[in-house]
Amino acid sequence: MPEFPPSERALRLGVAGPVGTGKSSLIALICRALADEIRIGVITNDIYTDEDARLLRSAGVLDPDRIRSVETGACPHTAIRDDVTANLQAVERLEGDYFPLDLVLVESGGDNLTATFSPALIDAQIFVLDVAGGGDVARKGGPGIARADLLVVNKTDLAEYVGVDVELMVADATEAREGGPVLALSRRDESSIARLRQWLLSLLSDHRAGAHEPQDPGPMAPHFHADEDGGYVHSHESADDAHDHRHEPV
Amino acid sequence: MLVNSIDLPARTNASATLAMLLADSRLPAGAHVSSNGVEAGLRRGLDPGEIADYMRARMATVVRVEAGAAVIARHLTEHGPLSAAGIVIDRLGDLEIEWAARTPSPALRDIAIALGAGLARIGQRIWPQTAEVLRTRPLPRPIVLGIIAAGAGIGPDDLVRLVAYDDAQTVAAAVLKLEPTDPIRVTEWVLDACAAIEGSVSELSRLTRTEALPAAGAPLIEDWAEVQSLLPRRLFRA
Repeated sequence: MPEFPPSERALRLGVAGPVGTGKSSLIALICRALADEIRIGVITNDIYTDEDARLLRSAGVLDPDRIRSVETGACPHTAIRDDVTANLQAVERLEGDYFPLDLVLVESGGDNLTATFSPALIDAQIFVLDVAGGGDVARKGGPGIARADLLVVNKTDLAEYVGVDVELMVADATEAREGGPVLALSRRDESSIARLRQWLLSLLSDHRAGAHEPQDPGPMAPHFHADEDGGYVHSHESADDAHDHRHEPV
Repeated sequence: MLVNSIDLPARTNASATLAMLLADSRLPAGAHVSSNGVEAGLRRGLDPGEIADYMRARMATVVRVEAGAAVIARHLTEHGPLSAAGIVIDRLGDLEIEWAARTPSPALRDIAIALGAGLARIGQRIWPQTAEVLRTRPLPRPIVLGIIAAGAGIGPDDLVRLVAYDDAQTVAAAVLKLEPTDPIRVTEWVLDACAAIEGSVSELSRLTRTEALPAAGAPLIEDWAEVQSLLPRRLFRA
């Protein structure tokens, strides 16, 4: 099994988010925007067979053999978080077959708002929402929305048809993320694609320089505890953990 | 033992503890993708009330082959010449050929290799003495289990019970997702199936020769494994 030091191997980027928000098309978009400049591979996670992999292969954005699928069975969230075995094997095999790759995109099976990737599988993750899912979803928060490396608010070109104020949705998301990056994206808006490209290339260069540290968004939304020091945000690793982990002064 | 214990972690675990660890569905080995063919079986007319029979039929057939292969792999690894991994690897290769001959469904062989790879990841890290053999190439799950059993110290009878229990519990967990029913009843079926093979544990655990690997085919199980691999909108890979 090939093993490379993290900074020499490909950047592993997870793409998570609810069903239908546009994870596969975001990956197609990234491939179209960058496949001429960097070497890309894709792993899709499908609950049923290899639907997403086939969709991406037929999009013609990448050599079909560089798009591999992992079947997650009844547990799509398990396969990206608590038992990443099948995904890690697929990523390593792909990296071995096409060494050297610059970027491996891992698409999660469309699950719900709480599913996020383990840092044991990926270096960074994008969480995808779309305007059609409702303007208030970003405000509701959740680990992916609040703490993924990038939050994408997708399909902004549909906003006028579904009565969503994109600026407000982005502002809500930025607040839920305490200023973390939020990208309003439409495949019909070239400037938004340019911003996605720029974010990705800068992440890739940080990864190569060893300056990027994978973060776990955590399984739950953080909550606020008031105490003598003025309060802390607790980010729980698991529901029954003692409060002895990441404490961020507010 | 195949490899000398240089730089091995000083850790002693009982055979029973190790068997419990490896049979635990929470072990991060990627095994939750398999239903042991019960998804295809249910779609092909297996009645949910017949699941206990399905588990027992597996005990009388495929489980004997899997458990036998694990026990023989354990024996070959444990009694291989010191510092001669090449010989052990060759002998395990012969065992794999015999196992494959008794596992005619390509789908069953594929999933055994995939699950073996997940287990081999764990084996190489936790019991580094198994790495020299495990890292050579992907091996089917029962052979990987046998190699780990030799390295970690799982006795042959516990190994047979591990393979049997895991087989039934895999069906049980899948049934509760596919055709939810009283989970305690399903748990009883697992114990009934394990009890059904208990009388063969001693015989299976004494196997040492590759040619003696049981040949207990089950055409319907093989057929369902093939059906499963082509099933549209399936929940389980196998």
